[in-house]
Amino acid sequence: MKAILRAMLLAFTVSLHSLPAFAELARLGDEALSGISGQGGIYLSGDISINEMGGPVENSYFGRCDDGDKKCGARFAYRLKENGGWMVLDDIRGNFAFEGLTLRVRKVDSGFGGDGEQFNRDVLELGLPNTVRFNDVQFKISASSTARPTDPGFQQTDIFSVDMRGEVVMEGNLLVFPAGNP
Amino acid sequence: MKWISFGQIPFSGRLLLMMGAVLAVPVHVGAELQGLSETEMSAIDGAGIGLVLENFKFSHGTDEPAASGEQARIFRIGGIKSTDGRDVDITVNHLYISGANSNFGENLGPVNLGRLLNPWRIDVVDGNDIGVANKAVLEFAASSKVAAGQGYDCMDSGAVFGSGACSSRPATAGYIGERADIGMQMNVAVGDDRSANINIHAKSAVIDGSYLRLWGDNDRRQMVGQFKLNFYSPELSINACEQDGSSCGSRILMSNFALELAIGNQLQPIFFDVDGSGNFVVEVAAIRRPQPGEIGADGLRSSSDAEAWDFYESYYTNPEFRSNLRIGNFSVGDRDFGSARVQGMLIQHLNIKTRDLSQ
Repeated sequence: MKAILRAMLLAFTVSLHSLPAFAELARLGDEALSGISGQGGIYLSGDISINEMGGPVENSYFGRCDDGDKKCGARFAYRLKENGGWMVLDDIRGNFAFEGLTLRVRKVDSGFGGDGEQFNRDVLELGLPNTVRFNDVQFKISASSTARPTDPGFQQTDIFSVDMRGEVVMEGNLLVFPAGNP
Repeated sequence: MKWISFGQIPFSGRLLLMMGAVLAVPVHVGAELQGLSETEMSAIDGAGIGLVLENFKFSHGTDEPAASGEQARIFRIGGIKSTDGRDVDITVNHLYISGANSNFGENLGPVNLGRLLNPWRIDVVDGNDIGVANKAVLEFAASSKVAAGQGYDCMDSGAVFGSGACSSRPATAGYIGERADIGMQMNVAVGDDRSANINIHAKSAVIDGSYLRLWGDNDRRQMVGQFKLNFYSPELSINACEQDGSSCGSRILMSNFALELAIGNQLQPIFFDVDGSGNFVVEVAAIRRPQPGEIGADGLRSSSDAEAWDFYESYYTNPEFRSNLRIGNFSVGDRDFGSARVQGMLIQHLNIKTRDLSQ
């Protein structure tokens, strides 16, 4: 909590550089700052649509979703080798919605079968929303000879496609913290 | 001046530093930044990101269609073709990750994945530490294994401390543990034939010591990697059922199932590529042949070039490069086939290429 507040205070003070100041700000010393503790985290609800009706590009390949001859999903291509072909996440579209994704900093000092007590540190906790509603979410994994389907010599092999609809149970918390060999 | 690594700064300080760094970009920078030499850089050990899933539960599947033909949930994998050109459509009836004693996914409970003291990690590691010279390697890793006797038996779902080398603990009466029940029930349709219903369930699964490492190869200018999958389960079962799940055939039961699969290693990494016709290629190149005279006729070190001999000795003897499969007991229905063991497989050359059957 303290960490978030301190970070926010810093963000605030930094952004003030470019803003007209209405009140005079007195600098807080490290000691004074360390005595301040904030409350709560962030609660998020989301409704995210990706090319549900069709993307912004309309050409010989991409079009609206109601046009059967055209692809309407987003396309993401990445290359694995210099001058090689492209791995593609193709035809990404659909809508997913969730209620109650939470984000906060939490101190873990107990639980986890005895690990918590030894760990005794702050973690960033992402509270999963219990259920995520998928509305015709689709994507394809493909391999393609060119980045864009409109490029000359375009050839593509769709490896497989995934289609998801309905409520997905996703419960728990994702804890993120620095690891490695400090 | 004493350098301290990023990891030594307390968490709140690191968050503050990160926020500061991001926000400081458009602001006038007061201090001058100095480049670090190679020696200084190599002394810095980056702190990776640790991930733990706490009280985690995942479930998705496909419902039977209602009278109107509508389905509340759909999870389908398609786009695959059989060799005779028919469409293959995999309808996933249920995919789950759950706590122990889920009874094949019937009673889902929470489980922890990764341990706070040995989490799953995303990290950029120094290649020199893992045998990939002078490279920064991106690593995705599950909890690492510990010294034998410092952990828990990988297989036994009642294992106690000191019984083995796995870090993930089995569930006990008071703790949900770090070993998940995972399973997938699917209906595989080839063309119009929807008869194949296959269910795979693994109890108390452990993947400690698994990792995926990725880096770039200078000579081939290509992404290369190294993949290790350790999979331990006291009970892995496969069976086929009627489409409505009413009656099932004999269950193939593999007890004490251990898979240690190594694809690619420091000397023979896996190369990923897509060829000119849009096909995905995975390749493990053959190890280089010794130059004439490098290895003596009697094969002994004394008559060979010492460096070359050591190179091949390490290649052929390193147990890390080998894949193993052990099945404690293999049974189909009420017939026992005893135990099976495939030990020390070394992938010397591999070339897998997808082909588009529709063309």
